[in-house]
Amino acid sequence: MQQQVDIGEVVLHHAADAYSFGIDPYFLLEWHAWEFMQLGPFNLTPTKHVIFMVIAALLVFLTMRVAGQKLQQQRANENAPKGFANAVEAMVLFVRNDVAIANIGQDGAKFAPFIMTLFFFILYMNLMGLIPFGATATGNLGVTAGLAIMAFVVIEISGVVKLGPVGYMRTIFPSIPGLSGPGAVAMSLFMAPIELLGKMVKPFALCVRLFGNMTAGHFVILSMMGIIFLFGHLTFWNWAIGISVATLILGIMMLEIFVATLQAYVFALLTAVFIGLMQHEH
Amino acid sequence: MLLALLQEAETHGPNSPFEPEFGLIFWTLAVFAVLYWVLQKYAWPAIVGATEERERKIARQLEEAERMNAESQAALDEHKRLLAGAKEDARALIGEAKTVAEKEREGLLAKTRQEQEQILERAKREIEAELGKAIAELRRGAVDLSLAAASRLIDANLDDAANRKLVVEYLDSLEHSR
Repeated sequence: MQQQVDIGEVVLHHAADAYSFGIDPYFLLEWHAWEFMQLGPFNLTPTKHVIFMVIAALLVFLTMRVAGQKLQQQRANENAPKGFANAVEAMVLFVRNDVAIANIGQDGAKFAPFIMTLFFFILYMNLMGLIPFGATATGNLGVTAGLAIMAFVVIEISGVVKLGPVGYMRTIFPSIPGLSGPGAVAMSLFMAPIELLGKMVKPFALCVRLFGNMTAGHFVILSMMGIIFLFGHLTFWNWAIGISVATLILGIMMLEIFVATLQAYVFALLTAVFIGLMQHEH
Repeated sequence: MLLALLQEAETHGPNSPFEPEFGLIFWTLAVFAVLYWVLQKYAWPAIVGATEERERKIARQLEEAERMNAESQAALDEHKRLLAGAKEDARALIGEAKTVAEKEREGLLAKTRQEQEQILERAKREIEAELGKAIAELRRGAVDLSLAAASRLIDANLDDAANRKLVVEYLDSLEHSR
């Protein structure tokens, strides 16, 4: 008879953030909220997700730095880009040209570094959760909220810069075609809350979409893992259950690799689209 | 089950993934800002630089091509304009030459006609003069002949000058009576 396992507890424990880092049970570093990191009602003590976020950022930097240096060497030797550097270049250029510039328009090149950083940062954070003992920082609403707030600020500020203060205010108080006089003013005022809501909904959707997609995969995998613990005690069937569940989990893991890439792409793409919409607002 | 999960989440407090923690938001923004800055400084130029350079070059070449196209278009227009002008000039010249030649021809024709008339006039006058002379000569001859014939005929001793006068008067009378 196997030990009773609370699957819900396991799942939440896995997805939850914590003041700990390591490979449980072999090596575990634990700490508590530090007093000196207290900022008003908030405590800024780094958590597990912060650490994985930093690791992801470091890996992104390392990848790009190494690829960049290799590319420069290859170009200096008049060689065509090849291997790892070429692959990274192709991905970076895809994000730059087909995500940023294609959706933002003529000012796309200015925003391309932002979109590229966003894409690779999210991609690495997503993928960090798929390596053993890793954690998905993007599976935390705080992280995706941070990313969405940043996207929101960039979108709106790009609008203010591009359209000017008056032009930007027109995105909140729209001028209704074919209306003039008091009717237009009333309609404009009436539309303002809807426009403001629209502005808020976009980053909110970005935030929840990424969080939901990254969390759901882990929940599904862990719940399936739970099947083993729930039915593993059945004699004669335990091996079949083990094999089928493991196969299913393998499939979902592969799907997760795809989802991790897709969600990074979606986040970057939608941010680019929203910036583009703002740039071409009239 | 979901409700239980959510309740669990609440009991987990600040570390629950369902609650956006301010600390995490802060760290996300901070890490992203640093990553953005570092990539912008040390990584993107090496990867995207060549492409950007190529894009700039293509844009420059495109601009150049457009400029040259416009220039050659302008040159072509100028050429066409000049050609049309030259054609117009040639047509005008030919027309002018035609009118000049026509005028010249008419002038010459008039002059020739005039000369011809003058020659004709002169010839007429000469003929008339000659005719007058011939008539006078004929008359004189006739007088002489008549005188000779008469002197022979009458054989008279008449004063030659008086006779002559007589005959002339006679002849004049003939003339008048005619």
